[in-house]
Amino acid sequence: MILPFIDWIWQVRGSLALAPGQSSDDAFDRLDPLFHQPGTSRDRSDDTLTFQKKNQAAQDKMSVFDSGVLRIEKDAAGPILRYHLTSRALLFCFLAPLLFLVLAQITIAVNDFYAPGTSAADKLAAAKAEAKQKEADEKLAKIPMNPIDIALGAPAPKKPQAAGKNDENEDKKKPTPTTAYVFAGIFAVLYIVGRILEDRLIRSLFQRRLLSS
Amino acid sequence: MDGIRVGDRVIGTQAPVIVGWDNIPKVEGGPVKRFIFTWFQPAMLVAFVLFWYYAPNSIAKASTGIGIGIGFRAVLLALEWVNPRYESWQLTWKELVTDLFFVGLGYTLINLASYYLGSDAMVEASLNHIGLDHLGWFTTLPLLVQAVLILFIFDFGQYWMHRAMHNWYPLWLPHAAHHYITQFNINKGAVGNPVELFLIGLGIGGLFDFLPRAFLLSGGIGIAISSYDHINVRFNSPRWWRFLFNTTEHHSVHHSQDYEATRSNFAGTFIFIDRMFGTCIDGEAEVLGMEGGRRMSIREQMTYPFAEGWKAIKGRLGSSGGWPSLGGGSQGMEHASHAEPISAQR
Repeated sequence: MILPFIDWIWQVRGSLALAPGQSSDDAFDRLDPLFHQPGTSRDRSDDTLTFQKKNQAAQDKMSVFDSGVLRIEKDAAGPILRYHLTSRALLFCFLAPLLFLVLAQITIAVNDFYAPGTSAADKLAAAKAEAKQKEADEKLAKIPMNPIDIALGAPAPKKPQAAGKNDENEDKKKPTPTTAYVFAGIFAVLYIVGRILEDRLIRSLFQRRLLSS
Repeated sequence: MDGIRVGDRVIGTQAPVIVGWDNIPKVEGGPVKRFIFTWFQPAMLVAFVLFWYYAPNSIAKASTGIGIGIGFRAVLLALEWVNPRYESWQLTWKELVTDLFFVGLGYTLINLASYYLGSDAMVEASLNHIGLDHLGWFTTLPLLVQAVLILFIFDFGQYWMHRAMHNWYPLWLPHAAHHYITQFNINKGAVGNPVELFLIGLGIGGLFDFLPRAFLLSGGIGIAISSYDHINVRFNSPRWWRFLFNTTEHHSVHHSQDYEATRSNFAGTFIFIDRMFGTCIDGEAEVLGMEGGRRMSIREQMTYPFAEGWKAIKGRLGSSGGWPSLGGGSQGMEHASHAEPISAQR
C-alpha cells in the first residue's frame, strides 16, 4: 500500500461473509461471469482472483473499476471474501473540481489580457467603440416592426440605452469564471455520490452473485 | 448480414440497423403515457416559440435562455429514467461524470475560445467590416421568419461542416472521437474532442444576431428540436416532425457501427437538409460506436486527433500515399477500406 491515508479516494475495499462451507472455487465460479466482459482479463489461483480492465464497456457492471484483487480468507466465523478495487474514474472525478478551478483562473486571466487598457489611447478607442455601438443600437431601434409582429402583439424592441449604461448587454457578455466554479461544485458533489454509490453497488453485486443459485 | 438497400446503398451489412419508420418500436404503455410521449416534443416547441415571442424585454435575455436550456435538459434527463429507448443505454454514474465533464468544458474552455477566437469574434469583425446597413433588410422580416432563417443558415453550414468532417481525413480526426460513444444520453452531444466541438460550433448564424429577440427565438426553437438528438427516450414523434426535424432515431443511425449507415443524417436540426441532398436514412440503431463498440477513455478523447494525426503525417512523409481511409484513423473500423475517396459521414 503506497498511499494508505489517501488511497481511499480511488480505491474501494470491502468484505463479505460467504455461506458456511462455501469453497473458494464455488465463490469464484459464481463471480466469474462478471469478468467475462470485453476488455477484461483475469487471473485466478486457489484463493485469489486478480483482474484488469481496459476500455471497458459502459454497461459493464464493474465499468467504474480498472483493476482489483479478490481474496477468500478463512476467518473464525467462516470464509470471507475480501476485495480491493481500483478506480481511475473515482480519482478523475475527485480531481475534476481542481481542473475547473484552474479553468476559472484561466478565464479571469484571459479576460484581463483582453481588457481595455487605461492609457488615453485605450480610453479613446473604448469611447469610439461605445459610440459605434450606440449608433448601431439607434439604427436598430428605428427599424419598424413587421406588421405581422405588431398584429400578433410581439413586444417592441427595447430602446437603446444611454451612454455608460450598456453594461447590461447580456448578449455580448464576457465569459465569467462563475460557470467553472459551478462545475467544480457539481463534480465535488458527484464524487461524494459516486464514492458512496459505487461502494454499495459493487458490494450488492458481489452479494447477489454469491447468493445466486 | 445482408443489409437493406436504400437507394444505391446497402445499410446494415456490418451491424444491425432498423430501416424504415414502420419498423421502429413504439411507446409501450397506457393511453396517457402514449399521448405524452407522442405530443411532448411538439408541445415543447410551441411553448418555446410562444415564450420567446411574447416574453417582455426584461425577461427575453441570453441568461434566461441559458437557464431554460439547463432546466429543459434536467427534465429530459428525468424522461430518460421514465421511458428509456434502450436499457443498454442506461445512464450510469461513470457515464454521467464523463458526459458532464465534456459539458463543463463546453461551458468554460470552448465558450472562452469561441468568444475570443471563434464565431463571436469573427461575426463582430465581419459586422465591423461590412456594416449593419447591408443586413438591415433582414430585421424587417417577421420575427419567426428571421428566427427560422437564422437556424436554417446555421444548420446548413453545420451540415456541410459535418459532412466535410466525414470526407476529409484532417477534419475527420477531431470528429472521430465523438463517434466512439457507445450509447446515447441527453448530454452525449457534448462528448468529443474540444477541437471538434469548437469547429462544429463555427457558423454564420451569429451574423444576424444583432436583433436579440429573433436570435433568442431561434435559439429556443433550436433547443426544442435538437436537444433530442442524443436522447435515450422512446417517443412516437409525429410523422411531420420526423420528416422535418432530426430525431434521436436518425442520429442513432448516424452513430451505428455500420459504416454505410454512419454516412447519413448529418444535419443537427433540420433533417430535410439531408433529404435535399440524398443523405437521409429514416431508421434507428441500438448498437453504436467504432471498432466494435470500444469505449474511448477521456484521455484518449483528448489526445486522439493529435496522436492519429501525427501517425498519418509520418505515414504520408514515408510514402507517396494520401491520407488513411476514413472511419477511425489507424485503428479504424474494420470496414474502413470501404471508404470512398470523397464521400460523406459524421
